Amino acid sequence: MLAAWNPAQPEITDLIIQHDPKTLERLPVRKQDVMAVFAGFKNQKALRALNALPDHAGIFDNRVIDRMLISTHWEMQRLAEEFYHGHRVWDLLSRVVATIRAGGYQGKLRVIDVGCGIGYTARWLAAHIPLEAHGIEVVGMDLNSTLIREASRLAAAEHLNCHFLQGDAFSRETSGGVYLSTGVIHHFRSEALREFLRRHEQPETFAFLHYDFQPSFLAPFGSWFFHYLRMRTAIAKHDGVLSAVRAHSADTLVDAARSAVPGFASGIYGAKIWKTPAPRVFHTLLGIRRPLLDEFRRQLGIRLARLGVLR
Amino acid sequence: MTLFVLYVLALLDGLLCGARVAMGRSAVIAKHRYYVRAQLRGAIGAQIISTISLAALILAELWSTHREALHADLEAAAGRMLSVFVPYAALVVGNILLRLIPSTDVRSATSVMMLGPLTALRPAVMIIGVFYGIWSTALWETRLLGLFVLALMLGLEFVLNARAARAQAREIDGLT
Repeated sequence: MLAAWNPAQPEITDLIIQHDPKTLERLPVRKQDVMAVFAGFKNQKALRALNALPDHAGIFDNRVIDRMLISTHWEMQRLAEEFYHGHRVWDLLSRVVATIRAGGYQGKLRVIDVGCGIGYTARWLAAHIPLEAHGIEVVGMDLNSTLIREASRLAAAEHLNCHFLQGDAFSRETSGGVYLSTGVIHHFRSEALREFLRRHEQPETFAFLHYDFQPSFLAPFGSWFFHYLRMRTAIAKHDGVLSAVRAHSADTLVDAARSAVPGFASGIYGAKIWKTPAPRVFHTLLGIRRPLLDEFRRQLGIRLARLGVLR
Repeated sequence: MTLFVLYVLALLDGLLCGARVAMGRSAVIAKHRYYVRAQLRGAIGAQIISTISLAALILAELWSTHREALHADLEAAAGRMLSVFVPYAALVVGNILLRLIPSTDVRSATSVMMLGPLTALRPAVMIIGVFYGIWSTALWETRLLGLFVLALMLGLEFVLNARAARAQAREIDGLT
């Protein structure tokens, strides 16, 4: 079990799906190459899960991978539902939006969900919040075409006012007023984390909210138990627990944000449950343009207690 | 009365089993109808099991040469089972009621810290409850009936889960 908890290794889904960074075309992935990575970590659990995936002449069968990916993301949505993630996002996002409006910007505000997967957060917002009335456009972006297709299908099935695009969330064509993500930032390690955050430094961007697992001594055990109970696919169980193990500490996130995007005041939001020392499962790396800082604090009201040092 | 309470608990268990096997198998946002249907399937499953169990019980009593003794023995066993099942059900229902509190933290906590572990305990609670019920019975018919009902109840989630998995696989096959 402990080999599967080594934070130095990637998650299985990071490796079994590869896209050309320029064309975004799906690339063939050799099973042996992926197996070799986890063999290097002596991670038998990952090797067993990979072994069960079929291949053609050593190349992963994309159709099977896609099926597995969709079912995994459906399961992950269930976790987001259990954690009331949509409510949590809107609870903070609504205050960020109010701050931006009070700051004088009255135009259409594009909120981009980076690495949206099947777009749960974007679809939840579209289903529960009168986005038009708030002047908000919600866009989910992901590099994975299968997940974007599924997100678009689900949004269309419920006539939801949000849309999904495959591609780079920080490109000139799609840049957002607010960037948010869920369970994404731990995929960026060391310099890649700073580079990811650096890309928020765009003239149109007012704020970012990145939700991710909060690391603690107990987090891997809790995550293991929770995933054991809730998830059905071996890869989902493996990657879910590894995500909690690989999650960045608050200090790492805040240090990276402050050095990468000095134009934003950065800090952690919602680390503790109420005023107890008990950590929340997720914490939020929050960044907001410095001139908006005082207004944001005012907008938070009693929720100001949930805000760490924002500077 | 004891049998009626067991029947109500079986229906409640079927209802929750139905919901549980449906969770994580639909990605739409508005799931009210989806869960109502899933719970209904679970309750129907539990009703079928209850009917089969009742039929087995009636047949056992009809064919028994010591009908009154068997009846009393069954009542006593069912009473002991309730002493395990009722507290468990009360914990589950209590936690579901806690979710009426409009706090995301309270609702998440009930799900993660209580309902999750309670779900994991379900098979063990079933086994402990039935064995506690039949352990000190005088008649082998009571033991056999207890084990028969236990197998049916444990099989319910298995069958519902297999059905939901097939439906999910069909749906995902259509998407890829």
